[in-house]
Amino acid sequence: MAIEVPVKMFRCKAGEAPRFEAHRVSVPDDANVIDVIDAVWRQDNTLMFRHACHHASCGTCAVRVNGYEKLPCIVPVREAMAGQTEMVIEPLRNFPLVGDLVVDVTSFFQKQAASGMVITRAAEPSLDGRAYERAEVFDDAGRLDTRPYNRFENCIECGICLSACPTLSATDRFFGPAGLAAVRRAVQTTPDPRRKSLLLALADSDHGVWQCHSAFECTEACPQDVDPAGAIMALRRELAVRKLKAVFGLGGH
Amino acid sequence: MSAPHVIVIGAGSTGAATAHDLALRGFRVTVLERGEIANQTTGRNHCLLHSGGRYCVKDQESAIECIDENLILRRIMPEALELNDGLFVAITEEDLAFKQLFVAGCVACHIPYREISPQRALALEPFLNPKLLAAVQVPDGVFEPWRFCLAFLATAKHNGASVRAFAEVTDLLRSGSAVTGVKVRDLRTGQTETLGADLVVNATGPWAGEIAHLGGVDVPVQPTAGVMVTVDRRLNNMVVNRLDKPSDGDIVVPQRQTSIIGTTSWTILDPDQIDIPKDHIDKMIHKGQELIPAIAQRVVRGVGAAARPLIRKANTDEREVSRTFECFDHKYDGVEGFVTISGGKTTTARGMAEKVTDLVAGKLGVSAECRTRTTPLLSYRLFYN
Repeated sequence: MAIEVPVKMFRCKAGEAPRFEAHRVSVPDDANVIDVIDAVWRQDNTLMFRHACHHASCGTCAVRVNGYEKLPCIVPVREAMAGQTEMVIEPLRNFPLVGDLVVDVTSFFQKQAASGMVITRAAEPSLDGRAYERAEVFDDAGRLDTRPYNRFENCIECGICLSACPTLSATDRFFGPAGLAAVRRAVQTTPDPRRKSLLLALADSDHGVWQCHSAFECTEACPQDVDPAGAIMALRRELAVRKLKAVFGLGGH
Repeated sequence: MSAPHVIVIGAGSTGAATAHDLALRGFRVTVLERGEIANQTTGRNHCLLHSGGRYCVKDQESAIECIDENLILRRIMPEALELNDGLFVAITEEDLAFKQLFVAGCVACHIPYREISPQRALALEPFLNPKLLAAVQVPDGVFEPWRFCLAFLATAKHNGASVRAFAEVTDLLRSGSAVTGVKVRDLRTGQTETLGADLVVNATGPWAGEIAHLGGVDVPVQPTAGVMVTVDRRLNNMVVNRLDKPSDGDIVVPQRQTSIIGTTSWTILDPDQIDIPKDHIDKMIHKGQELIPAIAQRVVRGVGAAARPLIRKANTDEREVSRTFECFDHKYDGVEGFVTISGGKTTTARGMAEKVTDLVAGKLGVSAECRTRTTPLLSYRLFYN
């Protein structure tokens, strides 16, 4: 079975005003949104979009679908069209635009590198294959970081959390959710107290965790359950405890 | 005199590794890719760092290339690899009968292997089919294809290469019988320009035939699609392969949080127009369960397909086409300044790059030797610098 999808595709070439271009494409009824974008590309191969793996591991294809940040490779068309009459596809916010659906991720990857955290690990443990209940995934405080699937290493560096971040919409003086989640993980894992202090100083800087509006939009939007907001809150707690200890002369580490 | 300028068309794994080798030998390098890095064949491959086990019975030349390159990549690219080994498991008596051939193949191709008991295999991999009859462990691994390419390209850029994504080659420039550059359309601006080169390398995988035609030559590349189905949880630690000759749905590759079931194989005409047959997806889910029954309880997270660039030989089934690679110097077709590298696998990309760069260096009179076997690659993140 095929379904017809009316698409409004964001188009913008260098030096031109952005516009929405109407397309109508036909895709299998079990297709994902990436297949809709690919079908538009087949109609007009000047459309620029990023994609590689089609299974949410490269993180390149993130866009906004009907206003929400999504990885089109894992969102079924049926789900995206529920209650909608058309599919509006736009690039991520809070990144410089290269053209069409492509944004410039240069400064994002520079921030990702700052923590020194590598997302691909030499070995992953065997994991229990059953699905988690929501109550098992989120604790009462909305934190995810004690759960086996919810850790920084699940990050695919897709940039969705930056696009969803209201702080970054207001200012570019913010390190951003993914980068701070990486800093938090590096703080947790480093055995070196000096490096830990440097990482915490980065988190404490005027681009750091205190800029966050605590809207939790990043955690809501993250397709990988990384919970960057939880990481930011954890860094704030750690910094607050350190400051208190310093005030009362209990040592800074 | 400045170094010769080489244009590499295509930024999949072959183009990326070739750019790295050329830059390391001192060439001026420009990589042109019509889309995102690794947006097609490499991006949607299996993520399998081959030990060679899959080919050690039927295609030993490929198997030896795989194990050699596997061991090199472990040294030069630690950041993009998960090194968990692989298991070949026998489920049926027929599979079990293949074991002797498989072990002999591993020996012949110097692939380290270890037979482990079904009990031990189940202890290591609790989601394996409990009816398994035998298991052989080999040094398979897993990579992330996009970052694999970025690591090569980051290092190439560091050594002076220019890498342009969203830059589509629309024609080859000719002077007499020689290729002297390319016409390229920058999709960001819509503008077309010409770029001169001392030599052009066609590293466009299943598109190699189309690019070769622009130069007036033919290459025997047969685009052959395969589908990958990814489920939403990681069900195995090691790569799990069916202990049999390669067939549809005979491998489950764990990658980070997910498991990727593959694959099928069908010949296509246009690698830009791949419609995934629904029965192929169903077949992956069904056949994958013979290895890991828990797949039945999982949700499909992503489905992808891309074309492999297999080298066409007369009268062969697409599964039987060798997975090894070929390097074509088009001077033998009467065209100078133009070479094509195709076939092969992402696992063997570095070796393919070495071979084509040796050819290019010879043609352009550059004596620098290949150093990519021992040169560690930079972090993929440094591609963005």
